[in-house]
Amino acid sequence: MKVGTIALNTFKEAKRDRVLYLLFFFAAVCIVFSRVLAILTVGDRVKIIKDVGLASVSLFGVLMAILMGTGLVYKEIDKKTIFTLLSKPIHRAQFILGKYLGLALTLFIMTVLMAVIFLAVLFFHTFKVEWPMLTAILFIFLELMLITAVAILFSTFSTPILSSIFSLSFYLIGHLSWGLETLIKKMKPGTGRTLARALYTFLPDLENFNFKTEVVHGLPIPPKIFVYSTLYGVFYAAFVLGLAVWVFRKRDFI
Amino acid sequence: MGNALKIEDLHKSFSTGFIPKKKEILKGISLAVEEGEIFGYLGPNGAGKTTTIKCVLSLIFPDRGTVEIFGRPYLSPKAKEKVGFLPENPYFYDYLSAREFLSFYADLFLLNKAEKEARIASLLKLVGLEKAAGLQLRKFSRGMLQRVGLAQALVNDPSLVMLDEPLGGLDPLGRKEIRDIIVRFKKEGKTVFLSSHILQDIEMICDRVAIIIGGRIINQGSLHDLISEKVLFTEVTVSGLAPAELAGLGESLSVHGGKILLKVYDEDKVGRVLELVRDKKAKIESLIPRTETLEDIFVDMVRRT
Amino acid sequence: MPIRIAAKRISGTFLLGLFLLAACAGFMGLKLETDKILRKKIPGSSIIYVPSGKFLKYATFGYSGLAADLIYLWAIQYYSTYEIADRFTYLDHIFAIIAELDPRYTDPYEVGSMIAGQEARDIPLALRILDRGFAKNPDMWLFPFEAGHIAQRQLKDFDLARKYYEKAMVLPGAPDFTKRLYANAAFKVTDFKTSWETWLEVYNTATDDRVKKIASNHLYQVKAEMDIDALKEAIGKFRDRFGRFPADLSRLERLGIMPSLPKDLDGKDYIYDPATGDVKPPAVWWKR
Repeated sequence: MKVGTIALNTFKEAKRDRVLYLLFFFAAVCIVFSRVLAILTVGDRVKIIKDVGLASVSLFGVLMAILMGTGLVYKEIDKKTIFTLLSKPIHRAQFILGKYLGLALTLFIMTVLMAVIFLAVLFFHTFKVEWPMLTAILFIFLELMLITAVAILFSTFSTPILSSIFSLSFYLIGHLSWGLETLIKKMKPGTGRTLARALYTFLPDLENFNFKTEVVHGLPIPPKIFVYSTLYGVFYAAFVLGLAVWVFRKRDFI
Repeated sequence: MGNALKIEDLHKSFSTGFIPKKKEILKGISLAVEEGEIFGYLGPNGAGKTTTIKCVLSLIFPDRGTVEIFGRPYLSPKAKEKVGFLPENPYFYDYLSAREFLSFYADLFLLNKAEKEARIASLLKLVGLEKAAGLQLRKFSRGMLQRVGLAQALVNDPSLVMLDEPLGGLDPLGRKEIRDIIVRFKKEGKTVFLSSHILQDIEMICDRVAIIIGGRIINQGSLHDLISEKVLFTEVTVSGLAPAELAGLGESLSVHGGKILLKVYDEDKVGRVLELVRDKKAKIESLIPRTETLEDIFVDMVRRT
Repeated sequence: MPIRIAAKRISGTFLLGLFLLAACAGFMGLKLETDKILRKKIPGSSIIYVPSGKFLKYATFGYSGLAADLIYLWAIQYYSTYEIADRFTYLDHIFAIIAELDPRYTDPYEVGSMIAGQEARDIPLALRILDRGFAKNPDMWLFPFEAGHIAQRQLKDFDLARKYYEKAMVLPGAPDFTKRLYANAAFKVTDFKTSWETWLEVYNTATDDRVKKIASNHLYQVKAEMDIDALKEAIGKFRDRFGRFPADLSRLERLGIMPSLPKDLDGKDYIYDPATGDVKPPAVWWKR
């Protein structure tokens, strides 16, 4: 499979990234910071470790996705390795898809490693494996997949710095969706509100992938949301990647 | 014998700058490359050589015009499978070894394992890199990189090989090696299209050439046709004669340790020099007739446009 | 041939366009679906781990105002989520953080005290929050004004209310009736003199008749209470001496227990019931 070839190659390239150092940094931060906070708090110490741990997985995951994703396509174009690649009989869409899957694989492994460290740290406190945490982590991974797609999209036409800023903005907008919702509730009905509603539905809602609170507090999660959230992620990522292919198809590589 | 590559009326403009200003790079390129020949594409820097090649390889999309590869439309996958490409100043995934590098491209052509291994082995042998097969590309010298690039261009055993400035930045030994490899391609029946601005190399290996200046093909044809056999002047080196005796016969280029290098324009003046040497019992050190070179034509054409 | 290539490219673009539309429609539809599903939210509850204190302002790298806004916005959401039963546990802490980050932001003090007072039913906390606001904004009449109201209405602590009103009424921008409220509270604490003086000032500086009327009514009430207190004291003395209530109030004057009989603000006599010894003003003070 041509896509598979490119994906594997991308994975090889990505794993050489200093990401490994980031991973160990994460582990150290996770452990030290949560222990420090645990000492300061009164009451349920484990909750802090869970909160900090999940937040770290999420935060570092997002950083990895953005930093690696924005450089990926740009580097190929800048370093001109793309010339030999695209002159072969492959569709440009296969190239984009291959890059995406390669990065997805890398992030998957990174997430698994972080999850293992996190569960290990938790284990030292509760002496049991906190499996429910994995639900939250799974959906964090889904969120990362979407952000990766966005990073790649920007990488097809923009420099890494700008792409990173745009991707970060996507992430922020995705988590502030509720703000727009609140605003819409206060608006008077009319074209303004209809437009705002359309915008609200179109803009990403990354809270759909956020199950941290439920998992930490042990709250019940309606099973329907698992299905819908996953599908939401899949469709949105497909849309973003489609856009990336669209941009990429027309492009002249000077 | 059909055309390996046929380009007709290719046009391409780019809009660059903050306020987009359209700049026309290719202003109607038409050329034909016959199967089995080595075709040279010359032009000064910025003439549009690389742009033309990239159009053929669908890295750039032309505004107008057609391109056919072995009679097929150039965008069809079957056409692309027969083409190999080495870009100018190539950069490769430097963390891969030569073997891994070729393996990657071989996978893109969906070669099975056995075919792949055989192909890689023969390619490495062809370009003389068997010993460096396991070495990481980051450790390759410029010449080695060029050679592995050539190998990559041949991974699919293409019938048409497009080379963009393949001899750039190489030392004389490197250039010779690449030239020899290219000639070997021809022996295997491949068609080679190479662009360059190093005219001596083109002269040495190409069958036909096209000259592109300012986005237009100024001249096209076999080298033989383009360069007349006319003798421009003769360089004669004599010893045992005084410069004064040679006055009027030619331009004295240098006088060094008894030897006089003379540039003689007229044919019969050459005869007179020879007579003089015979009469005075002097010595002819060397006699070299200089015919028109590609460089002369080229410079002349550039000056004219 | 060239036409076929062009056609293929166009159809490719067309298909891609269709794909994009389908994907877009897909995720938008799914978004509408996920919105319908109610999820237990305790959003941003990790705010609790933010330690308050002076350093907090610097930890926000110059964006303390913005941080205050965001935390306040979150707090409003949080406190309107009635499903969270223990949401008041950190009420003080959260609003202390907001105060620390942006002391001049007045809304949070008011809202915080309202939540504390009316929802958490923690009046001391409500007052504390307002005190904090006033400490950081000594020029804002609003804080002691509201504190006074809370003290008066919910704690029925008129002395405290009076203290608050006293602070409020001298600040610029305080509405005129702050004085009335002070006087009223002072009155309820039986500080008639201050009450009288304040209402008198309100009466004299009143710019419209309505305020004048209200002041005059209050003055009437104050005088009435003062007078009735004096009368009742005198009646008590009479009772001690003679073992019964006087037949009418004029007796008190004739016997020298009272130098003169007070009359109400309108100059009318107070109504006395010899059977019970009760004294009442002839008019209902707020109906005059």
